[in-house]
Amino acid sequence: MLSHLVVGQTLYFGDSLFYIISFVLLMWIIKIFAWGPVTKMMQDRADKISNDIDSAEKSRTDAASLVEKRQAALANSRSEAQTIVSDAKSNGQQQREQIVTQAQADVQTMKQNAQKDIEQERQDALSDARNDVADLSIEIASKIIQRELKADDQKALIDSYIEGLGKQHES
Amino acid sequence: MSDDPVSTFQFLGLTFSTANVVSGLVVFLLVIAVVFFTSRKLAMKPTKGQNFLEWLIDFTNGILKGSIPAGDVGKFGLWGFTLFLFLFLSNEIGLFIQVATRSGATIMRSPTSDPIATLTFSLMTMMIAQFAGVWKLGYKAHFANYMKPFVFWLPISIFEEFTNFLTLGLRIFGVIFSGEMLLGVIWDLAVSHGIVTMIIALPIEMAWQGFSAFLGAIQAFVFVTLSSVYISQKLELEE
Repeated sequence: MLSHLVVGQTLYFGDSLFYIISFVLLMWIIKIFAWGPVTKMMQDRADKISNDIDSAEKSRTDAASLVEKRQAALANSRSEAQTIVSDAKSNGQQQREQIVTQAQADVQTMKQNAQKDIEQERQDALSDARNDVADLSIEIASKIIQRELKADDQKALIDSYIEGLGKQHES
Repeated sequence: MSDDPVSTFQFLGLTFSTANVVSGLVVFLLVIAVVFFTSRKLAMKPTKGQNFLEWLIDFTNGILKGSIPAGDVGKFGLWGFTLFLFLFLSNEIGLFIQVATRSGATIMRSPTSDPIATLTFSLMTMMIAQFAGVWKLGYKAHFANYMKPFVFWLPISIFEEFTNFLTLGLRIFGVIFSGEMLLGVIWDLAVSHGIVTMIIALPIEMAWQGFSAFLGAIQAFVFVTLSSVYISQKLELEE
């Protein structure tokens, strides 16, 4: 077993050649069957993983910005709603006041008109009464004057007066 | 043991050792079988075989990355992978299969328990290192490296090439050869006095076989590591 190790006895250069050729052949076969496809697959996987990481990062930032936008929109709409409500409130207040003052003014004018009417009526009634009294006194005076002429006509005068009263009432 | 006959044959005017050729071929086919059956049905999501193969590729690439600059690792990846797988299986196969002819000539053992095989791989490493140096730095810079740090370093540099070549090849040979030889010695002990020595020898044999398997893996690793170190030395300009 040891004899073939002694340098100089026999050197199997053929073995050397055999190993070199078979090793190169082996490398070639491994490259075709395993090394090429496997390293390609590993590279593909590495690329895919890095792509996935990139896209995940991108979608994360997208989602964050979307959330921010949504929040801003929400806050905006809330303040908008608040202003709408307060506007409506102040409008209502204003309208109410307007209506009330309008009503008050209306009432005032109506009252004034009524008072004026009443006064007018009263004046009219008073003047009517005054005219009536004047007419009546003139009539009485004329009757009295007619009666002075004839004493015996006194009775007739009163009668006529009474008659006249009755006529006037009738009229 | 020393008078064991060696089976040889002549082919194209060259002498071949039957043991080396046969065991080399067996390991050759074994390596092909391993990578062939683990690389079927490659997928983005790796399954059992692909996982193993990718782990192995990462492992050998990791060995290379330890010394070779990162940009050049890809060019030596296939070589490192093949070398590691071939040496590992070579180291281990002799521990489990040893075949001899009736006359006592071994025809099947670890290819790496023969110095001619290990020195061939060692020579291959040295050649690749030289070639890589010329390819990376150019002839002038490559051979100028031998005269660094000063001109009189030249003989030491040249001598270093030979010692590297010899130590790289003989280290793995020594470990594997001694491991197999001791297995043979234990076997001789086991059959020397019948059943009693068999029982005694069995645990020793098992322990030594396990240890040799471990050493075989270590030696394959060391061989690839040192090879990449020798190559990386040629890839950079010395100060």
